[in-house]
Amino acid sequence: MKTLANLPAPRIAGPAQAGFLKFGVPRMRSPLLYVFLIVPVGYLIALVGFPVGYNLLMSVQEVNLGNIVTLARPFVGLDNYRAVLADPSFQKVFVNSLLFVGVNVIAQIGIGLAVALFFARGFPGAQLLRGLLLAAWMLPALVVGALWKWIFATEYGLANAALSKLGLIGAPIHWLSDPAVALTSVTIANIWFGMPFSMILIAAALMSIPKELYEAASLDGAGSFARFRYITLPGLQATLFAVACLVTIYTMRAFDLIFAMTQGGPLDASNVLPLLSYQFSFQQFKFDIGSAIGSFSFVIVFVVALIYVRTLKKEAIA
Amino acid sequence: MWKRFSVALATASIFAAGAALAQTKTVTLWHVFNLETDMIYGGIEAFNASQKEYRIEPRLVPATQIVTELIKATATGSVPDLATLDNPVVASFSGQGTLTDLTDLVAKSQVVRPDIYFQGPWASAQWKGRTFGVPRDANTLALYYNADMFRAKGLDPDKPPKTWSELRAAAEKLRDPAKNVYGFGFCAMQAEEGVFQFLPFLTQAGGSIDKLDQPEATAALEFLSAMVKDGLASKDVINQRQYEVINTFMAGNTAMALGGPWELPRMEKEAKFDWRLTLLPVKDDKKVAASALGGYVFVAPKGAKQVEGAFRFIEFMSNPKILNEGWKSGRLAPRTDVKVDNPLWPQAYGIYLEQMKSAKARGPHPQWPDISKAMQTAMQEAITNAKPAQQAMQEAARKIQPILAKTPL
Repeated sequence: MKTLANLPAPRIAGPAQAGFLKFGVPRMRSPLLYVFLIVPVGYLIALVGFPVGYNLLMSVQEVNLGNIVTLARPFVGLDNYRAVLADPSFQKVFVNSLLFVGVNVIAQIGIGLAVALFFARGFPGAQLLRGLLLAAWMLPALVVGALWKWIFATEYGLANAALSKLGLIGAPIHWLSDPAVALTSVTIANIWFGMPFSMILIAAALMSIPKELYEAASLDGAGSFARFRYITLPGLQATLFAVACLVTIYTMRAFDLIFAMTQGGPLDASNVLPLLSYQFSFQQFKFDIGSAIGSFSFVIVFVVALIYVRTLKKEAIA
Repeated sequence: MWKRFSVALATASIFAAGAALAQTKTVTLWHVFNLETDMIYGGIEAFNASQKEYRIEPRLVPATQIVTELIKATATGSVPDLATLDNPVVASFSGQGTLTDLTDLVAKSQVVRPDIYFQGPWASAQWKGRTFGVPRDANTLALYYNADMFRAKGLDPDKPPKTWSELRAAAEKLRDPAKNVYGFGFCAMQAEEGVFQFLPFLTQAGGSIDKLDQPEATAALEFLSAMVKDGLASKDVINQRQYEVINTFMAGNTAMALGGPWELPRMEKEAKFDWRLTLLPVKDDKKVAASALGGYVFVAPKGAKQVEGAFRFIEFMSNPKILNEGWKSGRLAPRTDVKVDNPLWPQAYGIYLEQMKSAKARGPHPQWPDISKAMQTAMQEAITNAKPAQQAMQEAARKIQPILAKTPL
């Protein structure tokens, strides 16, 4: 509370500050400020703090169907974490998660940037098409998963039909049933699913770069690559970083899409941490192990979220 | 804040309505049956009309979510009075003390009499001599086949395969890579469904879940993984749910497929060819008829407030007159005294009734999910060629045996 109240509030509440001063209300210690702070902080404690705390509690207890209803459960210390770390499926899934998130971040930003630049050229129908792309992002993940499962079916799927028509593959690819390919397949699907979101954020940032800069650069003889390198990229830097953080957080939570496509199989080849946590909790009824896995995801997401908040602050100051 | 306020408002209005109706008590029911023709819809209506003491308030929960929802409800202490659970998970709930013991109510009941039920379904709801549920319906697996394809490949559709070697031979003939047609389809996915489809083969081979390290168990897994390796079944079976396997059958991409009676309503609507059904082929040298048992069980979660009312509804739904209706959506009765007159799909009805006789319950065991998971892993390892069937099975046995040593089947 104290540290929050001591934040340089005026920077955040720029326009409001002017109003406050006009009516002669003290800048920092307004009681109203505390009231406004209590609401969001209380909200955070109730809806974020409690679940996280409860998850941590469960991860150091023995929790099964029989005692899930009470809080007084046997305390087992770090046993669940030890069990999780020793579990070969966890090690595999942990690496999967890092790969899945890493590739998603790079691809969603790369493709999102390319598509945003493409639509920024402003040809007829550009706005409509850009809007249509976003429609894909608004579909429920389970529907998208079912769609991609169908596209990736070995015999009658669209992907193999298209690739073999183009002469790119000789034998059909077992997109979802080959352990060596399954993670790639769900990654492709998730990139398709998440890319429009990155694209829209980047497109918005593109519009805020002053047109005069480009005109001036052109007059100075800068080619399109130089304009991209010295105007567009620096202008987008903060946004790209923020998008990277957001995509990391969203991808860390990816669950429904993979559940619908492969249920994490074959042999956990396409499994990720949240899905593994779900499987332990709700299929094996080992809520303690599920919670311990949840804690691992939480730490990763929390660190990224901290970085994200710091960038936002820098951006606001700059 | 607002939510809590509106909840309070809703609660208040329910109390008001309750006061007006005086005695009618609401029995909440969670079920998974989304087919409008399912007997539960007519049953709820008839039950509500038949008496004034209780009123069933149903909520449809998708089958994939009901366990999750029930766990959440248990954890927060706001359980429904009645729910339908897939039979292998009943023991997990009852064995860990999260269901209401119905033994005394059953003892007094005129309708729910244990001796009338098929052994498998009844056993699935028992734990340590106590009754924690009443079977609602039962199902099992049989072999669907495409009679048109049989004719086209010179096979006699009146003589479907009866043994493993005949099944394999037929699959070889029916297979047509140029047309994307596989001979055989089954579900081997990393989920309970995969185990459900594997168990008949395990039992036919003379194996059992507590002896996966024996050669019989290996033989069963080898038979199925060879079907995939030799291209008689698609590699995608590793990732296809049961209904997706039947999708490929109905689309003409699979000539023979394992499937349950619940597929019959859509099979009739969508399959545009002469489809038929036959008993599961048996292993040549053993001739053991076997299948796995599926179906749903009525349970009252612990903490249910209207157990009496819930049980009244269970009795109502267990009446042979209601159970007769089950077959219209491909549900078999769990009791022996129900005979469906003029059944839809008479040929299929005969086959499934016959197959029911050898249908074995999964478990009952409170740690069935762990046992099942070990099996799933072994199946996936053998079918994807990650490990030889024998090694995969031995590793599964090493995981399962300590569980069974603590709590035997």
